[in-house]
Amino acid sequence: MTTYIIRRLLMVPVLLFGVTVLIFGMLQFLTPIQRSALYIRSEPKTDKAVEGVIRQYGLDKPLYVQYWNWLVGVVDNNGERKGGILFGDFGYSRVASQPVADLIRTRFPNTLDLTLWAVAPVILVGIWLGVQAAVHQNGIIDQAARVFSIVGTSFPTFVFGLLVLMIFYANLQWFPPGRLSDWANRVVLSDEFTRYTSLLTFDALLNGRFDIFLDALRHMFLPILTLSYINWATFLRVTRSSMLETLRMEYVTTARAKGLPERDVIFKHARPNAMIPVITLAGFQVVGLLGGVVITETVFTYPGIGQAAATAAAQLDVVTVLGFALFNGFILIVANLAVDVLYAFVDPRVRLS
Amino acid sequence: MPDIILDVQGLETVFKTPEGLVHAVNGVSFELKEGETLGVVGESGCGKSVTMLSVLGLIPTPPGRIVAGKARFNGRDLLKMSGEEIRHVRGAQISMVFQDPMTSLNPVLTIGRQLQEPLMMHIGMTRKQAQERAAELLEMVGIPNAKDRLSDYPHQYSGGMRQRVMIAMALSCSPQILIADEPTTALDVTIQAQIVDLVKRLRDELGMAIIWITHDLGVVAGLAQRVIVMYGGYIIEEAAVGELYTDPQHPYTIGLLGSLPRVDERKQSKLYSIEGLPPVLYQKPQSCPFAPRCKWVMERCWNENPPLETISPDHRVACWVDTKTGRSRS
Repeated sequence: MTTYIIRRLLMVPVLLFGVTVLIFGMLQFLTPIQRSALYIRSEPKTDKAVEGVIRQYGLDKPLYVQYWNWLVGVVDNNGERKGGILFGDFGYSRVASQPVADLIRTRFPNTLDLTLWAVAPVILVGIWLGVQAAVHQNGIIDQAARVFSIVGTSFPTFVFGLLVLMIFYANLQWFPPGRLSDWANRVVLSDEFTRYTSLLTFDALLNGRFDIFLDALRHMFLPILTLSYINWATFLRVTRSSMLETLRMEYVTTARAKGLPERDVIFKHARPNAMIPVITLAGFQVVGLLGGVVITETVFTYPGIGQAAATAAAQLDVVTVLGFALFNGFILIVANLAVDVLYAFVDPRVRLS
Repeated sequence: MPDIILDVQGLETVFKTPEGLVHAVNGVSFELKEGETLGVVGESGCGKSVTMLSVLGLIPTPPGRIVAGKARFNGRDLLKMSGEEIRHVRGAQISMVFQDPMTSLNPVLTIGRQLQEPLMMHIGMTRKQAQERAAELLEMVGIPNAKDRLSDYPHQYSGGMRQRVMIAMALSCSPQILIADEPTTALDVTIQAQIVDLVKRLRDELGMAIIWITHDLGVVAGLAQRVIVMYGGYIIEEAAVGELYTDPQHPYTIGLLGSLPRVDERKQSKLYSIEGLPPVLYQKPQSCPFAPRCKWVMERCWNENPPLETISPDHRVACWVDTKTGRSRS
């Protein structure tokens, strides 16, 4: 187990190197002066200033020098370090007029908040229903789940999102879009509200403001519904087919031949084996959600990282987009690591080989 | 005269498939006496395994369904038992070992855990007692360092060792009947011999009756007292083991025996083979199911399916032809 995890951890620097080289490569499509956004705020206006910036930040130097500068930053005339992704400086978003890192810092917690609330129902309900559907194959639960999941997979997110927006916001006015009501926003921005985790729902609870917690959830309800439904469709299908396959395995017959009650056969013998592909999918889905769900966040004007990325892309703010891409790469690597560790917990063949 | 402990009468099992209803077992009747070893022989797809799985209620339903028959065990019909009742028979009084030890153990549970389950369930042992007993069982089937190997997972065992574990598990609750479904087919030859020897030894020690399913007549010769030959979901011949080998009656049995290599034959002769494959029966046949592959086939074979008839006290056969003379029987 320990060797296995160490081996996985040793892979992380290699992967990080790969991701950074890839993003750096894409940055080379920009002109040197566009790339100056990696180091300084405003674009130099005069030819002289342009030349000075290019020279100072080595934007005309060989690629390996530029790559190194990009990693660790460049010290300017005032002795201040500018740029340097290793120090968490991803450059400056000239469109949003703030450092890319700050943009991520304010937007990512919102996306994380949404992800956590969306993932829990997807995984719990998905596994439960998937197992039930497989155990009672062609039964009522199975048929219903299959219909829902086919509808879910074939529904484009924006259609489903607009539909629930029309029903629950426009017609019924139950669940508003956005992040918070104005009154709640005023409280959150005031001094008496401490941002412990940056995750609004958790902070609200930690501050003992149950009303704000409910308000935040109310605003998140429609995006959660949309994301849950769309992801749940795939999740359910994979769980179901994996469980069906496992139930046909000979060791399941062995378990029955031993005289175990059906409950034990399903939950102790079949389900753990069926979870192996499900973990992979869960990993992918969490990464997908954390990377920002552009369409869902845009439809519900939810201020997450996906919406910010979409805005940046629409305004050709390439440095910001690639900053997000880099951040997303980090998340992917961490999530893969988590999935690998989970594998080891579930499957002794992985753990012990 | 030992008592009959399992009495199967007229068992019929069908499977619903997209191509139609497949008649997998067609009126199979046999008896098993206490402490007896019964060999069940036939090619793959002859209904051997399905017969035994039906008896234990292990046929996946749907698509499978038992449409007729009785299986009396200790005076009660297994086929009429509720799921809960037959569950207490499985693994406790009748247990099963399967063909492929690579897939018949659960890969994510330890060997110890899998051995303990029936002990805790049927005998009511505590986890600790079960653990001690599991180690004894592993020792009984010849696994060295049994105590330490309880915490291993199946993939850390070789194929032969896994089959030993399966046997230990099957015998853990001292069953009256052990059904071994081609337990040596997936193993290489030297390991096969070891497993057969192990089962023989355990039979002598524990005295359980054995139903040994195989398509290897050689294995059965040294193990069984009585042999059933199955074809197309029918029993086509049944005899005491000596009689079957010296005086086979059914063309299919003759063919099976003829396809065995013999060490006492000097001449380099080509092994006999029965042309064709066993049928998949979408209808109950109105002819002998073996007729298309039979070299003795007569007019009558195409029109009537021969019933199983007693030709001597220890010998039953289902064939219209007297293979000695090539003429019609009777």
